[in-house]
Amino acid sequence: MADSWNTDTGEAVYRSRDAVKNLKIRVRIERLTSTAALSQHLQQQVLSQQDRGAIELETLTSQGQKGDNEEELVVGWQEKLFSQYEMELFQNESACQTPLDRQYHTEIRALNKARSRRNHRIFTYTDHDRYTSCLPMQQLHPADLLTTTKSGPTFLAERMASVRNRRHERRTLDSSIPKSKIVMWEPTEEFVKSSHVVNNAMQTMHIMADLAPPGRLGQKENEYLLLTIKTDGSGTIIAKPDFNKGKEPYRIVTVGEKREVWRLNVENVCTAMQPEEKEREQNMYKDLYVRHKEYLNSLVGQDFEMPPLGILRYMMNGEIVSAKGFEYDHLYIHFFMELPNNWSSLPFQSHSGVTQTCRARTLGKENVAFFSYPFSFEAFYMSEKESEEPIPQWPVIYFKVLSLDSWHRYRTEGYGYLLYPAMPGKYTITCHTWRPVQTGTVSALRRFFVGGSPELEDPSYVRIPGTFKGDRLSRFGFCTETTGSVTFNLHCIQQARAFVDATMMKKRRQKVFEQLGGFSQQGAVCTILEAFQRARKKMQEARECLPRDLVNTTSHVES
Amino acid sequence: MAELHIIGQIVGASGFPQNSLFCKWGVHTGGAWRLLSGLKEGQTQVDIPQTGDMAYWSHPIDVHYATKGLQGWPKLHLQVWHQDSFGRCQLYGYGYCHVPSSPGHHRICCATWRPLGSWQEQLSQMFVGGGPQLRSPDLVYSGADRYRLHTEAMGTVELELGIIMRHFDKYGVES
Repeated sequence: MADSWNTDTGEAVYRSRDAVKNLKIRVRIERLTSTAALSQHLQQQVLSQQDRGAIELETLTSQGQKGDNEEELVVGWQEKLFSQYEMELFQNESACQTPLDRQYHTEIRALNKARSRRNHRIFTYTDHDRYTSCLPMQQLHPADLLTTTKSGPTFLAERMASVRNRRHERRTLDSSIPKSKIVMWEPTEEFVKSSHVVNNAMQTMHIMADLAPPGRLGQKENEYLLLTIKTDGSGTIIAKPDFNKGKEPYRIVTVGEKREVWRLNVENVCTAMQPEEKEREQNMYKDLYVRHKEYLNSLVGQDFEMPPLGILRYMMNGEIVSAKGFEYDHLYIHFFMELPNNWSSLPFQSHSGVTQTCRARTLGKENVAFFSYPFSFEAFYMSEKESEEPIPQWPVIYFKVLSLDSWHRYRTEGYGYLLYPAMPGKYTITCHTWRPVQTGTVSALRRFFVGGSPELEDPSYVRIPGTFKGDRLSRFGFCTETTGSVTFNLHCIQQARAFVDATMMKKRRQKVFEQLGGFSQQGAVCTILEAFQRARKKMQEARECLPRDLVNTTSHVES
Repeated sequence: MAELHIIGQIVGASGFPQNSLFCKWGVHTGGAWRLLSGLKEGQTQVDIPQTGDMAYWSHPIDVHYATKGLQGWPKLHLQVWHQDSFGRCQLYGYGYCHVPSSPGHHRICCATWRPLGSWQEQLSQMFVGGGPQLRSPDLVYSGADRYRLHTEAMGTVELELGIIMRHFDKYGVES
């Protein structure tokens, strides 16, 4: 006789993009009497024995009480169904205090007149009812989370349960911060309750049933909670307990003189959206997104500045960050760029710069001077193609660090250089410096007292002197002293038309390889294609370079 | 046109003489750049750290630029100010750095410096506060006039920036 019950009465969370007002739930309660159980058991036995040809027994049912022992109802979202207690209460006008009560009163009167009351035992408490927040804690959160018998819920659980459900407050999503009263210096108790715990404003609906013995409906003690549905404005729907979905029903045991057992079945009977409607909705969304994208595109535009064909543009954005480890204070850096052959730059661009004079401070064990001097430099590389050219020479920044103190003593502190990186990206480079030194005490004394120290005539001597020709660079006999280091942050960008084609070619090549499994024959085909493209380009360029009259005369001759 | 997203935060600052700091920041670009969405300048809150040296702001930066060319790559300028218990604000440093040009996540430490006055001004600065400020900080972007300044090094500002670039490779830009 032991039926199986669904004991899992935890919450289930659903997410839906549809409006919650389309939610429809079918609730079915059925009292479990002994006769009902017996008849069901017999029915099952009969059904299982049917093929054996046994006599069909007539099932025992008590017809008269059928209507009172079960009820099935389809309930919509926030649909107010009155309990017997409420019907009796709101019939008197004197019991109505709030406008909501008065509204109920008129509704009940209309219901009574039309005799169109749908429900008998099952009723609902919507979000507006004041009972929603007054339901005893026991019913809302049955304390059977743990197996041990605890004294009660924790402080936090109490706080969260006693928070009153707030209405939705439409907060705008953009950065609209209240300009006044950002900080609340004396929070009220209400504010503490609502802000200190996780609390989404939820709309709640309770589906209840009056499970009194038949004929004695209308008393508040016999109201039992069947199902709670909560939703916040953003499509989360929480149902406690979950829908049965074809599994065993839930069990409700009444407390009272007579303990009765009721079966509860809950199902979601929302109608699915029609395919045409779904399609229409999807089309609308697609339209919306496409229009938004077009708007953005119209703002952005299509053009972009590109260097001419065959030219590589090298753009260097960088900053001189700091200098550290130098002998004297009040440092500044004087730097300039040097472009080797095949490189050019814009006419009005300055190739050199001087930072500000900075007094160092002690950071750790060293004296650091911060410059944070941003510079930006653009250079163009024109390659003479088809010659067996070695690796292109990249531009260099030569810099010297100098110190100038309050007595206007001027000293060189160090020389260094920085080579433009070959690959684009972000670099943090620390360059070490040295300064030329003359042996002997005289120059050291001069440097200390008066200022002035030997300087390099040609700053490019730091790397490879401009006047150097030959195989071996010899610095024999040149005396230097190591001084500090300078840190640069470089952001390098390279741009060329060839890169566009290269990426496309890579894609094309990949596709061919993928399609044909990477046969070497196809690889050869690709190289032939590449060579053909190159030759064609060369021919086109050669044609353009020809002087105009030559072309004209040839055409004249031909015609 | 290519688009650039700069999404990140100004984490905080450290290494300054006093701790209760706030920061005014802004992004400065060339003429070919256009701001599509986001705020390109702002001011953080004042932070007074209880322990440690670093003042944390966690101030969000979220800008979206569209550009027609590579010139005038965005630069970030920062001004760190100190607010004392009397409510007086005093300049603690200027910092300038470029926004990174390679996509990805970057941690940037921007060093700051403060203009230095004469020794009388320095003395009064020690007692009363204040000190010289740049009349117009925009002049210092190009760097042409910087050599006239006499400055002292102050602390560093830490930033975390995520860079997302779009359509740059269509125009042959490699970064």
